[in-house]
Amino acid sequence: MRAGAKPLLAESGRGTVFLLSALVLGPVWLTLLVTMWSVTLSFVVTPLVVPAAIATALSVRGAGMVEAWLSRGVLETDVRVPSLPKARGFWRRLWAIVADPWMWRAQAYLLARIAIGFALAVAVLSLLGVGLALLTAPLYYWAVPEGIDVGAWRVDSIGLALAMVPLGAATLALTSGLVRVAAPPWRALSAALLGPRRPRKDRDRTSDAGARRALMIHALASAALASLLILIWLLTSRSYFWPIWPILPLALALAIDAWIVWVNENRAWWFEHRLDRGFAIHAGVWGALIPFFTGVWAASGGGYFWPVWPLLVGLIAVGVNAAALLLGPDRSALTARISTLEESRAGAVDVQEAELRRIERDLHDGAQARLVALGMSLGMAEQKLQSEPEAARELLADARTGAGEALRELRGLARGIHPPVLADRGLDAAVRALAAGSPISVTVSATVPERPKPPVESAAYFVVAEALANAGKHARATRVDVRIASSGGTLRVEVHDDGVGGADPAGGGLSGLRRRVEALDGRLEVISPPGGPTTVRAELPCGS
Amino acid sequence: MRVVIAEDLALLRDGLQRLLRDNGFDVVAAVADAEALLEQVRAERPDVAVVDIRLPPDFRDEGLRAALELRRVAPDTAVLMVSQYVEPTYAAELLGDGRGGVGYLLKDRIMDVGEFVAAVTRVAEGGTALDPEVVAELVSSRGADGPLSELTPREIEVLELMAEGRSNAGIAAALVLTVGAVEKHIANIFGKLGLAQSDSDHRRVLAVLAYLKGAG
Repeated sequence: MRAGAKPLLAESGRGTVFLLSALVLGPVWLTLLVTMWSVTLSFVVTPLVVPAAIATALSVRGAGMVEAWLSRGVLETDVRVPSLPKARGFWRRLWAIVADPWMWRAQAYLLARIAIGFALAVAVLSLLGVGLALLTAPLYYWAVPEGIDVGAWRVDSIGLALAMVPLGAATLALTSGLVRVAAPPWRALSAALLGPRRPRKDRDRTSDAGARRALMIHALASAALASLLILIWLLTSRSYFWPIWPILPLALALAIDAWIVWVNENRAWWFEHRLDRGFAIHAGVWGALIPFFTGVWAASGGGYFWPVWPLLVGLIAVGVNAAALLLGPDRSALTARISTLEESRAGAVDVQEAELRRIERDLHDGAQARLVALGMSLGMAEQKLQSEPEAARELLADARTGAGEALRELRGLARGIHPPVLADRGLDAAVRALAAGSPISVTVSATVPERPKPPVESAAYFVVAEALANAGKHARATRVDVRIASSGGTLRVEVHDDGVGGADPAGGGLSGLRRRVEALDGRLEVISPPGGPTTVRAELPCGS
Repeated sequence: MRVVIAEDLALLRDGLQRLLRDNGFDVVAAVADAEALLEQVRAERPDVAVVDIRLPPDFRDEGLRAALELRRVAPDTAVLMVSQYVEPTYAAELLGDGRGGVGYLLKDRIMDVGEFVAAVTRVAEGGTALDPEVVAELVSSRGADGPLSELTPREIEVLELMAEGRSNAGIAAALVLTVGAVEKHIANIFGKLGLAQSDSDHRRVLAVLAYLKGAG
């Protein structure tokens, strides 16, 4: 597979570059985060906290952009940093910068780069160094006075040095393997944390099982690697327990992975408590970092308990994130709204479907049938023109009558779809025309300074039309008041009659009307106690 | 009699042109939009303009607006609106200035060629032609409990035909009555509604229409 060899080499080369970049970037990001958050923290009770928080958020953004650039350039991902959320007004814009969910995700990524990335970089660099040193041992072993110190051995002869060469090659192969295993997850991680949030539908619901399996593999691999390191330690010097250094980040990575899987499986719980997945992961990363730092502190011989600083920073960061979510728009309200929208959309589609079916049926049974009859009359008239001119004349007269009927039906149909006067003159004129055409005495008061959008206008019109028709047909009303007013972006339509009431809001006409109104995000209310009177009230958002 | 036609659908424009020519009218122009209509009327000074309500560019009531404009700038040209639908509101606007020489018919009426030609002639001569559907709506909206309830069914029929703009002879022919009987019915109607009698057919029609349009 010669063809595949080259890209693989390039692949591990790119992976190595990326992993090693954490050696420089990790400390830089750590310094940046600790400094910025400490400054923000120290200003927390002063007004200066605002610029400090903004500066922190913007620094994280900048760092995130650098990482995204690196991920694009080195890992060849397609990570595009989403632009800042848009907001109107100075303070809202500031708040948008601090509460930007992308910023928090980017920070999680930076933390991962600091903790896991740096450890990986150290591991890769060490392995690379050891591998190269062993591989090239025959070239320089003679220059080292005491011989090269390789664990239990002392390489001070050409024989031993040559024996080290395959060991070095094996170490380099191991390094390449490590890079190939360790680099791809960063590709996924950077896409998930630095890219725009993927729409929900892209997240596979069945992937929970897959994530669990991946976690198991991760745990096994970590355990295997840790065991291997401990074994090497046991076989070699056994003095200083150096494997703690790779084991700590391995444990950290595993803890974070496990946490993410757990959060994904319990999305609903976080959602109910108005905290989203991003927050859960953010909190989890900090939660794992504190024991990690404490472990680092203990492993490095204790002394001044410096992990107290990251602990404080983490507390503040998680606190701010939680506050941003809890003070922000209520997610449960959003959920309720989404289900309303889904329902009303389905309702609107149903209404439309039923409407189209009715129109089709009316055309089929009405105008089309009449045109067929008309054609037949004309055909027969043509036949009889010479032989029975009198009969032909009668047939022609029939044909004309039929054409008139067809026209009348088509006109009625068109009026039911969209009354011409509504399109021509607007709601006020159309409702007055309705009132004028009604056999009941109807008073209309309408104050609609600006024409609402056509769907709103026509829904309002049909509310009045249906209510008027019901008042005349079923309620035997003698007086109807129609009031239409628009204010504050809402069009209110109220039709009140003095009839016998008892209108069924679930009846065909009214329920269709309700779905039509709800599809426009409006509300329809029917108050019709038996014995009357009836009030039909609609509120339609008409935007301003 | 000189006619200008404004109708955007070529099929109907050509048909209308042919129908009017066959019946002895001189169609001096047939145009497709309101602007051309105003131009031709100014240039040709026809006796009557037959205008579709829905015209380009928005296909709303451009024809009606043009007709109202014509009433102002060319009072000698009568206007007959034709449309696929009728709105009493528009009828009220056309009749708003209280003058004759105006008509408003459904396109359906064109099929009854004799009636249609008579209506064009009547409007061109300063009379009125109102579609039966408009009249029916006006009458029904006038309410069942007003003075109209005192009219006999036959008198209502006479009132409706009068509102359509027909002459006494026309009403007599439509109802198979003598002209004398029609005149008697009309006198009764005017008495019951409290309207002043008038010698001219057209002015009498306008009085009836003014009554029907009045507060419903």
